[in-house]
Amino acid sequence: MTETREKILRVEDVVIRFNLRGKELTAVRSASLDLYKGETLAIVGESGSGKSVFTKSFLGMLDKNGRVASGNILFEGENLAEFTREEQWLKIRGRKIAMIFQDPMTALNPLKTIGEQIREVITLHRGMNRQEAREEALAMLGKVGIGDAAQRYGQYPHEFSGGMRQRVVIAIAAACRPDILICDEPTTALDVTIQAQILENLKELQREMGMSIIFITHDLGVVANVADRVAVMYAGEIVEYGRTPEVFYDPRHPYSWALLASLPQLGEKGEDLYTIHGTPPNLFKEIKGDAFAPRNPRALKIDFEEAPPWFAVSDTHFAKTWLLHESAPEVEAPKIIQRLKEKSLKGLDYGS
Amino acid sequence: MSRYIVKRILQSLLTVVIVVIAVFLLLRLMPTSGYFTRDDYINMTEEMRSAYLRNLGITDPAVIQLQRFFAGVFRGDLGRSITVYPKLPISTILAEKVPYSLWFGLASMFISVTLGFGLGILMARFKDRWPDHLGTAYVVAVRAIPSLIYLFLIQIWVTGIMRWPMVFYEDRPVTWILPVVSLSLTGIAWYGIWLRRFMVDEENRDYIKFARSKGLSQKYIMRHHVLRNAVVPLVQYLPVQLLLTIAGSLIIESIYSIPGMGGLLVYAIKQQDNNLVQVLVLIYAVLGVAGVFVGDLLMAFVDPRIRLAEKKKKKEALRV
Ligand SMILES: Nc1ncnc2c1ncn2[C@@H]1O[C@H](COP(=O)(O)OP(=O)(O)OP(=O)(O)O)[C@@H](O)[C@H]1O
Ligand SMILES: [Mg+2]
Repeated sequence: MTETREKILRVEDVVIRFNLRGKELTAVRSASLDLYKGETLAIVGESGSGKSVFTKSFLGMLDKNGRVASGNILFEGENLAEFTREEQWLKIRGRKIAMIFQDPMTALNPLKTIGEQIREVITLHRGMNRQEAREEALAMLGKVGIGDAAQRYGQYPHEFSGGMRQRVVIAIAAACRPDILICDEPTTALDVTIQAQILENLKELQREMGMSIIFITHDLGVVANVADRVAVMYAGEIVEYGRTPEVFYDPRHPYSWALLASLPQLGEKGEDLYTIHGTPPNLFKEIKGDAFAPRNPRALKIDFEEAPPWFAVSDTHFAKTWLLHESAPEVEAPKIIQRLKEKSLKGLDYGS
Repeated sequence: MSRYIVKRILQSLLTVVIVVIAVFLLLRLMPTSGYFTRDDYINMTEEMRSAYLRNLGITDPAVIQLQRFFAGVFRGDLGRSITVYPKLPISTILAEKVPYSLWFGLASMFISVTLGFGLGILMARFKDRWPDHLGTAYVVAVRAIPSLIYLFLIQIWVTGIMRWPMVFYEDRPVTWILPVVSLSLTGIAWYGIWLRRFMVDEENRDYIKFARSKGLSQKYIMRHHVLRNAVVPLVQYLPVQLLLTIAGSLIIESIYSIPGMGGLLVYAIKQQDNNLVQVLVLIYAVLGVAGVFVGDLLMAFVDPRIRLAEKKKKKEALRV
């Protein structure tokens, strides 16, 4: 099914390094990802796994001490990984690829009206005059669910609640009709009901404008709700990806097991919640073999020696684990994960 | 908003009155010999002295004297100088001296703000590169070296090289240059370092990151977001500095022999000219308090959050 769709972004083996007080830190180690037109791809993974850094590199928004050391970011016939000048990025940012960040309370300039802040991108990217830009901005505010937009237009950020501010941020990011919208934990700071409304708004915007969304989150409930596909990231690497039901009901990488097993929603009464032991690897050091092996109670010998390649589970589902090798021993997934598979046959609803 | 203004005006008036009363009462603790010029004091007998003091009203209870002082101020009568310019009405002295300090002050403030802002913008724009280092060196130099040293050096070298007169002559405009420049040196450093600091603060804020991700150019962001927001905290101080230019500068006015206000207060205190001290304290208190007040108003004008803080408080008060 996905083969027929158009790939809009191809990211290949991207390595991102930071220079920290003279030492090199590798935050993203050879991560790859494809994004199709109009889809929503979720990236999940624990804190520090490199989700933000990885996606920021698509807009050239890495901190000054960071750089894409190797790999390709292919978009519209150009390799963004080779961009060196600010002017090159100005043609991409906002108008082709836009990004919204986690904290809506600080994402807006406190001293400018929200009207000004939407209008400035519209006049810049779409060449409209002030009046047209205002009309367009009002329309955008309406689309993200802000009532009496005309009055709200002249107000300052502090006059908005957190949820309302995030809507404004979304309106700004979407105002230039980008092809790709990267949402970095956009609803983490908000309460659950508002979160749900904002996700609905996003989906609606996506349907209307046909943009692709990369959605970074810790919340697997949100993933089930919004994502067509899921990529699981661990220690700067994508370790498994596939269509959402595939990854949720039939995860193959031990890290994906651990991640899903630690979800409170999946636990049975009276059963201890699953926790991942140990800490993520030190990013200053070279990693040998499977990065997750030291924390994986089911690790094989080879996991410590050689990094696994991609193995296909289906046409759309891939995982980077030796367990999928034809001569690998039978390793049982945790009980919780096995149950998932059974439940999937009955059609479990993850939506929150 | 208007309630806020009225409240602040009343507060300001109260502050001024308290300051003036405090100084007034402190001055009553000084020996009464300060009310005489030296010759008078020597030539008078003890009786003549007490008659003179009674005549001046110094022997009345402090409350009466205070009342008299304020009544005089309201009538526009600031009293007369005692020892610094014997018998001369203080208003005449001020009318003589204020214009010098004011014009030099205004000129130097204009230069300080324009050059200081320019310096701050350059330093922030080229942070950690040579313009920033150069600017920092300048600021450190101006602050660390005692001003007398470099002010003297400037006076001696520049007047020597340019063959200008050493001191100020009202009818020779070239002699106006050095005092104005000298007056501006610290101001430029002050505005420069603070604007740089506020701009760097702003640049690291999340909304700047978001603005960049919107595709706005560095130049646009600098001008319309960073600079705009960084100026706001400085705006508050402009009115005080503007008003207090009247006070003049002790060092610069004395090395260039400018007959301005600089040092008048110090001199009046040394000479125990209580009347003059009182009036000067009153004036500086009024200017200082008014400056802070106008600064706060300006702040509320440029920072929308402040206006609302007032409204919100009111709403909350109503809710309780
Ligand atoms: N400017 C930087 N200099 C040095 N290291 C950095 C820098 N930015 C990020 N890192 C490091 O890169 C790693 C990945 O960080 P990143 O923010 O991408 O994680 P994340 O997956 O988004 O985590 P979270 O879920 O907490 O947002 C972290 O170890 C972080 O410390
Ligand atoms: Mg992050």
